Amino acid sequence: MLSINKLKKTYTTRDGELEALANVSFDIFPQEFVSIVGPSGCGKTTLLKIIAGLVSKSGGNIDVDKDQFDPSREVGFVFQDSLLLHWRKVLENVLLPIEILKMNKGLYRQQALDLLDLVGLEGFENSYPNELSGGMQQRVSIARALIHDPKLVLMDEPFGALDAITRERMNLELLRIWTESKKTILFITHGINEAIFLSDRIIVLSARPSRMVNVLDINLPRPRVQEVRTSPDFGTYALEIYRSLELI
Amino acid sequence: MKKYSLKKILNDVKKGVRKNFQASLTIIGFFIFWQIIVVFFQIPQFILPSPLDALEHLFIPQESANYSWMLHISTTLYEIALSFIVTATVGILLAIVISWSRLIKDIMMPFFIFINSLPTIAIAPIILLWMGYGIKTNILIAFLVSFFPVVINTIAGLNSVEDDLLDLVRYLHGSKLQIFIKIRIPNSLPYIFSGLKIGSTMCIVGAIVGEFIASDKGLGYIIINSQFTMNTPPIFSALIVISIAGALLYGLVTLLEKLIMPWREIQTTNQ
Ligand SMILES: Nc1ncnc2c1ncn2[C@@H]1O[C@H](COP(=O)(O)OP(=O)(O)OP(=O)(O)O)[C@@H](O)[C@H]1O
Ligand SMILES: [Mg+2]
Repeated sequence: MLSINKLKKTYTTRDGELEALANVSFDIFPQEFVSIVGPSGCGKTTLLKIIAGLVSKSGGNIDVDKDQFDPSREVGFVFQDSLLLHWRKVLENVLLPIEILKMNKGLYRQQALDLLDLVGLEGFENSYPNELSGGMQQRVSIARALIHDPKLVLMDEPFGALDAITRERMNLELLRIWTESKKTILFITHGINEAIFLSDRIIVLSARPSRMVNVLDINLPRPRVQEVRTSPDFGTYALEIYRSLELI
Repeated sequence: MKKYSLKKILNDVKKGVRKNFQASLTIIGFFIFWQIIVVFFQIPQFILPSPLDALEHLFIPQESANYSWMLHISTTLYEIALSFIVTATVGILLAIVISWSRLIKDIMMPFFIFINSLPTIAIAPIILLWMGYGIKTNILIAFLVSFFPVVINTIAGLNSVEDDLLDLVRYLHGSKLQIFIKIRIPNSLPYIFSGLKIGSTMCIVGAIVGEFIASDKGLGYIIINSQFTMNTPPIFSALIVISIAGALLYGLVTLLEKLIMPWREIQTTNQ
């Protein structure tokens, strides 16, 4: 689906060059759930933005399998900040991608309401963003990223602003959406346990300039249930990630 | 969540009345104070007429004045209204054109700054020379004084967008036009309205100045004319009407602002 090869990114700043990504290569296969973990500032957001074409790369390449999806229309992006348009009601915010892609908004209204239901915001479609809590705003932005039924969903710490309980619920919902709609997800998180619980594969990045220090295939049974967290394998994966991040 | 029930609307109306009531009290207080000062110190009418004198001149036909207030008031109001509409439309469109590309901006901005730095009083005679007497001239003068704050504010609003918000449109390969329509313009609305508020005041200044110089009609004309004949009360009558017009226009812009940006209401009522 997506093949990333020796990707490099150097930002030019006032104080000189800043090497964010040194050498990152990995593949994402269709319908895979891949997570990226790494310390703050290591270039995770940069990586996602390069994939989405929002930031230029300094080297390497990204091959897209155009038979699998249309990279100009079938990508969904959940940004690290919720980035809602404060002058639009929640429903209109969710429908933004439909407008930009010039699709028929009327046809997607119900879909938008269903997505709001799904992220636990039923009844808030006519609220303005500043009437919602930070976590609720973030969930609106998740609904917005899914409204145009993207094949590839890039998620930049989507649950970062949520409390632990809502976060667990959203994890389960996300897995359900992913299974049902056969999407491919590239997911950034600081939560190591969250990454193990959700993913098929985890890419561990080092501190800046980031290299890939580990790639783990997570062979836990699907569908994932909460009990999996107590399995010995789960602990082994966690330890391995801790080791790669030099936390042990 | 906010519901627009009848109760809510009534409540809003009540609040508005109360607020305007306070403002009216202040203004009425001012007029009473003015009346007392004039009567108490026995100030001669040609220096400072009392507000009652001024109102008398406005509502009761005077021998010393053979003009129709209706004609002059409506002329000035017409000029103000039209010049404000032109200022708003042209100012906002101009700002959008200027913000569209760096190149256009670099070429056009110095020109506007130059025009804006010319004192109106100084260019008014030239405009009179070119266009002759009449309403059109006054509207042009009013426009020239007032469009700049609208342009500058709108440009500031169009440029004040967080870069990250643009990513929302860009990652779906949206066009520049979509960025303007969906992000930049709505984002600039509060700026546009503060520009319009300044512009509305400047329109009135412009219209009156135009009438001073180039008119045989309008409140500005009455002021100048009455000054020649040392007939002071009509000057104050005209000033009262002008200030009422100014307040109404300002109120209208504020009302429009509330209607167009309901989300702002929520922000302010919660504070
Ligand atoms: N536009 C930019 N210009 C210059 N430097 C940048 C820019 N964007 C990011 N950086 C730098 O690149 C590095 C990586 O940033 P990035 O946002 O990708 O980190 P991150 O892994 O997403 O961090 P976090 O987990 O805290 O979100 C940081 O050191 C940051 O300062
Ligand atoms: Mg980040």
